[in-house]
Amino acid sequence: MNNDSLPSSYRDPAGFVFENAGVIYRQINTMAKKEFDMFMNSGLYEKLVDARLIIPHTEVKTLKNLKADANRYKIIQPEAIPFISYPYEWSFPQLRDAALLTLKIQKLALEHGMILKDASAYNVQFIGKSPVFIDTLSFAKYEEGQAWEGYRQFCEHFITPLAIARYSTEQALTMLQTYMEGVPLNLAVGLLPNKAKFKKGIYAHVYLHERSQRRHQGSGTRSASAPTRKVSKFALDGLMASLESCIKSLKAPSNQTEWGEYYEFTNYNDQAFKNKAALVDQFLGMLKQPPKMVWDIGANNGEFSELAAKRGAYTIAWDIDPKAVASNYQNKKKQPELMLPLVQDIAMPSPSIGWELTERMSLNDRGPADVVLALAVIHHLAIGRNVPLYKIAEMLHGIGKNIIIEFIPKEDSKVEHLLASRKDIFPGYTQEDFEKAMASYFTLDTKKQIKHSKRWMYLYSK
Amino acid sequence: MFHLIRFAYLDAGTGSMVIQSVIGIAAGVALFGRKALMSVRARKHEKSPSIKKNA
Repeated sequence: MNNDSLPSSYRDPAGFVFENAGVIYRQINTMAKKEFDMFMNSGLYEKLVDARLIIPHTEVKTLKNLKADANRYKIIQPEAIPFISYPYEWSFPQLRDAALLTLKIQKLALEHGMILKDASAYNVQFIGKSPVFIDTLSFAKYEEGQAWEGYRQFCEHFITPLAIARYSTEQALTMLQTYMEGVPLNLAVGLLPNKAKFKKGIYAHVYLHERSQRRHQGSGTRSASAPTRKVSKFALDGLMASLESCIKSLKAPSNQTEWGEYYEFTNYNDQAFKNKAALVDQFLGMLKQPPKMVWDIGANNGEFSELAAKRGAYTIAWDIDPKAVASNYQNKKKQPELMLPLVQDIAMPSPSIGWELTERMSLNDRGPADVVLALAVIHHLAIGRNVPLYKIAEMLHGIGKNIIIEFIPKEDSKVEHLLASRKDIFPGYTQEDFEKAMASYFTLDTKKQIKHSKRWMYLYSK
Repeated sequence: MFHLIRFAYLDAGTGSMVIQSVIGIAAGVALFGRKALMSVRARKHEKSPSIKKNA
């Protein structure tokens, strides 16, 4: 292991990922030489790249400022991932697709005499709306009779969270932030309703699996001589087929959420909606430089994020509602390559977590974005979550270089709705105070009223 | 019927290793049975129009 490795890359002794002059590289250690060469020469890598299932890489011969490392076999440069996201930020169909991708790769690996040595959901990233496998060092030589060491990890990273979400709510997937290494089988058994036992594969992969673990607890697997039962190729193929059918049978729960169909129950009239879109587009066009990265916080189904993506910006369409994110993700016609929908509660954003609190980056660590779109968001933060306007301005300053923001006054029916069931303790929620708060952190470039509404649109820059 | 773990960098868990062979065989048999049934049905389906033709 090398001190220069990224904080997220320390578990696998076969190699590590590091950054050099702003570019991401992967070192292959000599201990993984045989397996890496087999992966590259067996035709598996080519097949996976052709099918766009794995991130392609190029071999790097020389690199400046590289420390000597006796363990180094090769350095490769994987194609850059525009934005790193984590399983606890994915919606139900995203986690499901990541699981199916893992199984598809496992199937192809077995056809080429190899096997995945792990099944972490963190081996998958999204480029736009397509999942892609990123861990080139996850492949090992398969030998007839060997069991799949990634089986438990697959069940805990994919099956248990999806099953719990299936029988409760998609919001349950955020538990992957707490259970970064997967939702333990025994926890899933405790949380799942009895009827889950009758769902295809759940009884076997969760309940029986958990019972078997309990039974063999303490029997030990760490010793090199630890014995385990032989798994024939027939059984391994059966296991893969069963896992695939189990994942495919897990559908998102059908419960309605507040935001899932937000635009179907909006208080805009058509003209105001069109004018709002025109202003967002106009403000995006007014920026000194075309934005490369845009974050739309409160994107719902990506209606306005699409405007940024159409201008060529890689756009992260954040929303608190997993159903809205799922609906955006599943709409493959809407900017599938440049828009990445993700779940995020902007009032409680993703923190830095994992080993030494650096393994997984916080939301702010992944910014700042060239532009933040905050459309119909601040009233939810200010009134719905009691966040003062100056705190909202401070937060925006931390995540964006330019801000396109919509101010919704108290007379708007959406704000009236928020205040309907509570006392108005927000005398400071005024347009004047909003402008003052923003002026502490940004320069106002322009502001315009959205026609046929009482709302205003602002463009701020740092 | 024992096999050594050689390259494990993950703690796969003995219980997980044991149960996958049981689940795998059961799933494999079910899959094989389903495929066999489908092929029998397909053959029947192929035969029946020709019988009608001959009739």
